[in-house]
Order: sequence, then C-alpha cells, then structure tokens
Amino acid sequence: MSESGSASKVSTSTAWGVVSPGATSFARELPIVLAGIGLFYAVLVFAHYWSGPVNFRAQISLSPASLPKYALFSVLRLVAAYIISLVFTLIYGYTAAYNRRAEKFMIPLLDTLQSIPVLSFLPGVMISMVALFPTRQLGVELGSILLIFTGQVWNMTFSFYSSLKTIPSEMREAATAYRLSWWQRFWQLELPQAAIGLIWNSMMSVAGGWFFLMACEMFVLGNRDFRLPGLGSYLQTAANSGDTRAILYGIAAMIGTIILMDQVIWRPVIAWAQKFKLEQVSGEAPRSPILSLLRSSRLLPFVSRSWIFPLREKLDLHFAQKSTELSASSGKTRRSRWFIASATGLALAGIAYAVAKMLAMISTLSVIEIRHILLGAGATFLRVEFALLLAATWTIPAGVAIGLRPRLSAVAQPIAQVAASVPATALFPIILMILIRAGGGLGIGSIVLLLIGTQWYILFNVIAGATAIPADLKEVCSTYRLSLLDRWRTLLLPAIFPYLITGFVTASGGAWNASIVAEYFHFRGETISTLGLGSIISQATDSGNFRVLLAATVIMAMIVVTINRLVWRRLFSIATTRFTLQG
Amino acid sequence: MVPSNRERFHDALDRTQWDEAAALLQTLLPEDAAGILRKLSFDQQQPLFRRISLDTAAGLLPRFPYYDQYVLLHSRTGEDMRALVDKINPDDRMRFFDELPEEAWQRLMDELAIESTARAEKSEPQRTLPENGPQFRETIIDARQVEKAFEQPDGNKIQVVAPLDLAIESNTICALLGPSGSGKSTLLRILSGLTRPTGGSVQWRGHPIEDNRNVGIVFQSFALFPWLTVLENVEVPLTARAIEHRVRHQQALKSIGMVGLRGFENAYPKELSGGMKQRVGLARALAVEPEVLFMDEPFSALDVLTAENLRGELLQLWTDHQIPTKSIFLVTHNIEEAVFLADRVVVLGKHPARIRADFRIPLAHPRERKSAQFLVYVDYIYKVMTQPELDVGSLTKVPALRKLSVQVLPHATAGGIAGLLEFLNDRGGQEDLYHLAEELLMEVDDLFPIVDGAVLLGFAESRQGDVQITSTGKEFAEADILERKRLFRDAVLSHAMLIRQIRKALERKSDGAIPLEFFHDVLDEHFSQEDVQRQTDTALNWGRYAEIFGYDSETGRLTLEPAAKITDSGEEPPPH
Repeated sequence: MSESGSASKVSTSTAWGVVSPGATSFARELPIVLAGIGLFYAVLVFAHYWSGPVNFRAQISLSPASLPKYALFSVLRLVAAYIISLVFTLIYGYTAAYNRRAEKFMIPLLDTLQSIPVLSFLPGVMISMVALFPTRQLGVELGSILLIFTGQVWNMTFSFYSSLKTIPSEMREAATAYRLSWWQRFWQLELPQAAIGLIWNSMMSVAGGWFFLMACEMFVLGNRDFRLPGLGSYLQTAANSGDTRAILYGIAAMIGTIILMDQVIWRPVIAWAQKFKLEQVSGEAPRSPILSLLRSSRLLPFVSRSWIFPLREKLDLHFAQKSTELSASSGKTRRSRWFIASATGLALAGIAYAVAKMLAMISTLSVIEIRHILLGAGATFLRVEFALLLAATWTIPAGVAIGLRPRLSAVAQPIAQVAASVPATALFPIILMILIRAGGGLGIGSIVLLLIGTQWYILFNVIAGATAIPADLKEVCSTYRLSLLDRWRTLLLPAIFPYLITGFVTASGGAWNASIVAEYFHFRGETISTLGLGSIISQATDSGNFRVLLAATVIMAMIVVTINRLVWRRLFSIATTRFTLQG
Repeated sequence: MVPSNRERFHDALDRTQWDEAAALLQTLLPEDAAGILRKLSFDQQQPLFRRISLDTAAGLLPRFPYYDQYVLLHSRTGEDMRALVDKINPDDRMRFFDELPEEAWQRLMDELAIESTARAEKSEPQRTLPENGPQFRETIIDARQVEKAFEQPDGNKIQVVAPLDLAIESNTICALLGPSGSGKSTLLRILSGLTRPTGGSVQWRGHPIEDNRNVGIVFQSFALFPWLTVLENVEVPLTARAIEHRVRHQQALKSIGMVGLRGFENAYPKELSGGMKQRVGLARALAVEPEVLFMDEPFSALDVLTAENLRGELLQLWTDHQIPTKSIFLVTHNIEEAVFLADRVVVLGKHPARIRADFRIPLAHPRERKSAQFLVYVDYIYKVMTQPELDVGSLTKVPALRKLSVQVLPHATAGGIAGLLEFLNDRGGQEDLYHLAEELLMEVDDLFPIVDGAVLLGFAESRQGDVQITSTGKEFAEADILERKRLFRDAVLSHAMLIRQIRKALERKSDGAIPLEFFHDVLDEHFSQEDVQRQTDTALNWGRYAEIFGYDSETGRLTLEPAAKITDSGEEPPPH
C-alpha cells in the first residue's frame, strides 16, 4: 500500500464509525496478535511433521480430542493446495491470455483437464511425489496437496484468463501509453481487474477441496494404504468402523471449520474486494465485522507503512527502471524467443510421447473390460442427468420464489449459503446409513449424493436470475392478469434461462467428477459400490489397475467435454442471444 | 424631362465623379444597380464599390458571380470586409463560400481572422499570444505514408487508413474530424505510438516514435483504474517512469490542482461525476508533462453543459500557457467543438480513412459561437462532411483509391427514413442539414446515414448541405401505411442492389429460402466483418419493412414473401 492508500484507508475506516484510538485499542489488537502467534505455531508443527519419516499406516484416532489437530492439518493442506493453485493460475492464465499461439492449445487443454476426476490424477501424482521424497512424510503430504490442487485449480484459471481477456481496451491502452512495467501493470491493472472473479472462484475451489477431502487424505494405491492425519481421514475412518458418534463429531468439526473460515477469511476478503468492482457507481456494499476490526486496527497500517510500503516502492521503481532500460535496448527478446520456442517444442514432444504410450496401453484392454467401462459410462450418465433433473425440479420453483420476494430472500439466502457450504461427502456416511436401514442401496444413494453436491449451483443461479427480472416486466404480467402457466412461459422461464444454463454447466461438470466418490464407498469395513464410471475409476485406483483407470478417465473426459461443447455451449449461446434482458 | 437617376449616374461616371455616381447608384433598386455595375469594367466597379454604404454593398454583392464577389470584397478595407461578410444574408454567404475554390477561401478566412485578431488585441490585449500573426511552428510528430490494413482470415485485406501524411506541430491545437467509423481513433493511436501502422513511418523529432513517447492520452471512457484513488491514478504514469515517491506525490498534486480537483485526492473514481472523472483523466495525462497531448473524443461521454465547461477550462489552461504541453491533438465528431478549440482542422473521409481537408482556423481565442466567421467554418466543415463525393481539393494530396464496386447501404432503418421524410415534408420539403440535426436533437453522425438512405432510395436529394424531398418522397410522407410499403418496396427494388440480389437469389431457389450466412460470405469480399453486419442489418430491415422477404432468426434463413413474388411476375402494383 502506498502512503496515500493507507491514508484513504483511515478515511474509510471513519466511515465504519468505529475509530476510537487509545483505551480499547489494545483489546482490539489482541486477536490479531494471537492469530499471528497461532499461525506461527501451526507452521512449526506442520514443518516438524513433514520432515519426519514416512508413516504409511498412521493410526487415525477417533477421539474427539484429536479433532482440532486434524482440522488444523486439513486446513493447512487446503491452504497449501490453494497457494499452489493460485501460482499456477497466475502463470497459466497470463500465458494463455497473452500468447496467442499458446492460447490455441492451452484453453482446450484446460477444458479437458477440468473434466478429469481427482482420483485419476492419484497414481501419477502419488508415485512421482513418493519417488521424489522416499524417506520423508513430505512426499506423501505433497501428493495429497497436489491431489487437492487438481480438484480446485481449473475454474480459478479460467476465471483469471477470462478476466484478463475482458480488460477494457482503453484501460489497456492507457497502461501501454504510460509505459507501465509488467510489474506495475500486473498489480495496478490485471490483478485488480481479475480480483472479484478470482475470489468467488477461490471460494468455490476451496469448497471443492472440502468435497474431495476424504478421497484426498485416505486412499489405497495398489498394495499401499495411505492415511494422512486430517478431518477427511477421520470421517473416512469413522465411516469404515461404523462409529456413528465419531461421524457426527467429524461432521460437526468440519462444518465448524468451514463456517469459521468463511467468517475469518472469505467475508472480509469479499467486503474488501468491493473496491475492485469495475462499475463506476457506488452501491450497497457487503460488510464484514472482521474487516472493520482490521481496518480500525493501528497495527496493520503500521506494518503497511514501515514494511510493505517501502518494499513495494522499491520493487515498483526497480521494475520501472528495468522496463525503461529494456525498451532502450531491445536485443534481449530474440534469445528469449528462442528459449520459448525450444521449450514449446520439448513440451509438444513430451505430450506426443505420452499420447502414444496412452494409446498403446488402452489398446491392450480386453473386450469385456471395454464393455464394462462403456456400460458404467451409460449408468453414470443416466445417474447424473437424473440428479440434475431432480435438482432442477425443486430449485427452479424455490429459486424463483426466493428471488422474487426480497423478504423471503433475506431469510432463505443465508440458510441456503450455510447448507451449501457443507460438503456432501461429509454427510454421505449418515445418508448411507439411513438408506441402508430403509432398504436402499448405493444405486439410489449415489444419486442423492450427486443431488446434494450439485443442486446449490442451480439454486443460487436461479435466485440471481429471478432477482434480476425488472419490475416493469412483472407489472406487465399482473396488469394483463396472466395465468400462472402463462407467467412462467412468457416471463419467468425465459428470464432465468441464461442463469439456469450457467448453473447447469457447473452442476453437470461437478456431478460427473463427484461420481467417483458417490459410486464407491468404504463403509463399516466393507466396500460398497454400484455400476458406474466413477466406481470403475475408484476401483481401478484402489487395485492399481492403470489400464482401466486410464481408459475410464479418457472416456469420462471425453463425455464431459463433448456434452459441454454439444449441449451446454449451444444452449448458452441461445441464452445470451435470445433470452438476454439487455436491449 | 428630368433625367432619371440612371442617366445622371452614367453622366457622373463619365465625368469620373465617383462620389456622386456612388450616391446615385444607391438610389437605384438593387437588381438594377447590380445590372449596371456588372456591365462596367473592373476599373470602374472598384472605386464605386468602395464608396457605397456597407448595407448597399451587402445587398449588391450576392448578385455577382463568386469571383467578382471575391475581388469586390477585396476592394474595401479589411475592417469593411469583415463587416460586409457579417452583413450578407446567411444563405448567400453560404453559397459564396461553397463556390469559392479552397485556396481562395483559405486566404479570405485568414484575412478576415487577422482583422479580428487585431481587433481583439485592441479590446483585450492580455488575451492574445506572445507571438502575433502566424506563430512559430515546428514539427513534433511526423507521419509519412502511414496506413493501416487488416488481413481477413480469408486473405482479403481491409484498408482502414489509406497511406497519408500528417504532421503534428507545436503551438497548435489540431482537431481531427470525420464521420464515425472513419478511422479517426486508429489514426490517433498510430500517431501516439499505441498502434504500429502497417506501412509508412511515424517519427518523433527525427526518432522512431517507439523510442521516445512523451505523450499523454485522454480517453473517451476516461480509462481510470476504479480501484485506485484520484491521487493514485494520477501517480500511475509517474511510477512507471521510476520517479521517486516524494517527487511523484508533488507532481501528481500539482497536476490535480491544475484541473481543479483539489480536495478529491483520496476519492475513488466511482464517487465522481463524469466531468470530474475526465478531469482525473486530464490530470493523469498532464502529470507526465507531455509534449503532445492526445485526446480521443474526450467530451463525448459527458452531458452538454459539463462538456462545454471542460472545453472552456482546457482552452484556458492552453492559452494561459499553464500546461507544458506544446501541442494538442484532438479527435472529435463534434464540428462546433473543433471550430471552438482548434487552430487547425483535418477532416477525414472513410472507406478507408484519407485526408479530405486540412486547413487552419486563425481566429483568436476565446471564440464567439454566434459570430459569422465561426459559423462560416462550421458550415464549411458540414459541407465537406455531408458530401463525401465532393472534391474539396484539399491541401494534402489524396492518394488514388481503389473504388468499391459494390453499393454501400447506409446504416439506417426504414422507420428512421420515414421519420425524416415526414419531418422534411412538414418543413416545406427542404432543410439545412445542420439545422435538421439541431432540431432533431441528433448527432450529425447519426443523421447522415438516414439522409443517405433517403437519397439512395430516391426519396430525397442532398445538395451542398441541404436535403430536399423529391416527389416520391413527398408521396411517401403523405401516404398511409400500405401505400408506404408499396412505395418503399418499389424504391428498394430499383435502388438497393443488395436487396435486389437477395430477392433474385431467393426466387431462383425452389423452396424460396436461403441462409443469411450465404450473403455474409458474398459481402465478406468487400467489407470488414463489422460492415458486413451493418450491411445485412440494413438489408434485413429494409427488406422486411418492404415485405420483400422474411427472416427467421432461429433458423437464420431468409424466405421470399409471397407479395414480392406477385409484383415481380406480373409487373403490376401489388394488391392492397
């Protein structure tokens, strides 16, 4: 922050009406100081554990007393995965947005990677990480973190990429005309422009991380059994042993952690990020008590003034100087172009080799195996579509009802948000228990899990769509006394259509990915599974059957990408051309 | 019998009694006086004209051909010339300036302006610039044979800017005018070094423009960073120059003070009005003390009053030498704005952009919008802009261009054309384009295509800045809706090539349906992507209104309307 920046912060904090330096100031700083110390301790514990020797069969204690430690481990794992995701996002998105040649293959590649379920990455990631650090816990840990990373990085990358692509051309020209260094352009134009999209997608990504946490912290790979201390493995162990009380403890701990993170991290971040809104008019802004605490604190401005500001100033000037020197002598570019060309060539060769190997591996599959995979794909397809249909039948009327009534919305929205933040996988053991008692099996259970996991995307989008319906259109409907059916046909459905499609796209992709945990479950010491592509992938991972794993993954990626291109993208273009409310 | 005044006049003339002859001339009817004068030799005309009163002279002058008017005007003193030009009936004055060749016109305008500068100096000596008369000008940015062309995916080249020369000089506000889509902004970006031309070179004091770009740019959309405060926004270009914090801060504050934004340093752009946002844009541009200040339609996004206010303040900063900027290059589509601000006006033509006129406006600042000279310049620019075919013999040579072999449909809706015709009909059938735009509260840019459409369809004629309704146009304006559709259909089928083509193609198909895509491909050869869209939009609008063909946006197919078929086969008026 520049000095002027912090000055403006002070002026904004007066707007919060909480500034009274002096007496209460220490009480206010205390939580911040304590939080800092806590963080330091956590890193210390984690580092010690990481550098320790490998412990494949760690005992997961089901005692509630160990829950805080497990929660901490899980959170740190998620945070580490998130940081890697962020770095990857920035580099990949930046390259794809600015290198036209790279963009042509980077974006379809991203599309494909997004459709590959987490578990399919498991063998590759785990084997390479363990090989990298054979004697340290670090290898296994890194493997788990990378698995979480593969589940949460893609949508963040897409968001960053499209934000970069949609920077208004005159703002970009201003940056060029005033010769901003890449450093200054990144901090003052590109990152702020991408901030809001990146934050919302980060929230979604971390939620996805919680969803797959059980699969990422405890898994079998061939003859090796991996268990990492954490909330996910706690829940999984509890489910395995059928310990209902432990399951409930685990769920409570998980929900508590999620709500805490929401309050301590996401809400303040969202409230703070309002200043990155591109709209040129001010409106009602979300608030966060934690953010006001931070803003009224005198510690942070002090740190900002004495540490961050001088550092940033130094970096700004350094890069500005470098950029002016660079433009004076432009001989360097040729060498770097050579470097990029050869690196691209190497990467392409590597990809070609991998594709050839993959095809060779798949071609060894027997007819029975292939038939099994195709049957499974069909079963999962039906399951996913059925879950989407079920989700739509209740979320469309409910979403419209909430969106059209501000008073109902004020009550229902927060409830729905809390409900949506609970990962469906955590509830799965309980649902399964009820279903088994009622006589159902995993065939129905998996649909329920897919439904719980994906319905929220549709609900929130429908609410947003219904809220955006202009009042005059609603008045037209009541003036001409349209019947309920006509009202839905002429106004409500067309108006929410673009939002509905957006919801469906996310839900559909998510449901396919979720099938790997929904169709295959370790419960009370036994493995319950049902026919489906997800269960084939999970089973292949467990048994170390790479050929089947590969083939099933390729099929799933192909199905998801095809459905996206053929169905959703077309519907989306219809939605944006015919059913848009602008003009 | 008492000799008539006419005889006495000739008598006085024979005796070379100029004063007496002049006095007698004034007693005659203007047309008689003009007739007599015209028959005299130039040696006699001049002394007589010099002696008659201004009012008589103003009445007589328009009755002469323009070359005589020009010479007669010059027989009087500079002061009188100005007064005479002011006194002549505006329509006659407009005609005179229209007919006058470019060079003569420019010279006359210069002479008139020097007079007014001298007068202004007498009344308000502090207003004028240190160097009087023609100022010292040196070239700062020099563009030679710059052009811009885009390669279409199918290999077709679309020329956006034709090769042209343009220099930006010091001590000058230069306004670049042109219809929308004429490549004004592209040219600004080439001159400022933001975009590389596809041909030619741009030099900044003898060096390539990329090497030293001491420019500031003010954008139409302001292009402020909404997450930075006013102060931080103004500091952005200074940080990029690696200027140390303390100095940066002071420079930014100075710049903010200059544009009158003191007290708003810590405000965010979204808290400011449009006018204040553009002040921030200006402060940011001025913070780097640019040698040339580029402004891309800087006042277009503002309301009329705010824009006027800001223009005035900019001019004040400029004339008082408060800003270090040596030259301002302004892109605008507002003619009055150009005449109000600019020392030099460059008018661009489109398809592709080329210089159609380039002249100086040597009037002193501040300029009076109601003055005759101001209006003369406005009229003249309107004339150039409303008549794309007119060869104004501009000072810069216009390179030979590849003529488009296809007809360009103006981007106007059938409803817009109908509205224009009704309005014209109510006004007695003829109107000055400039007044028309004013009365309809339209930008002249938006009015042109509608007028072009009416002209193309034979509903109106456009001559020297006037639109006149034709007999068919009048018939159309007074007809009922069905009759209108018939007239429109006839007009479209006989004048609009593209629509005729579409109809022919549809008739040849057995099912009478063709995807619109097909015509896109046909047009692709001649137009840019954007223009193809405009062409088909217009064709669709006209064709649907005329019920020549229908279009289903879901299937993207054009279908023949039955009515159109009947007209064609029977060559009879369609049934009502």
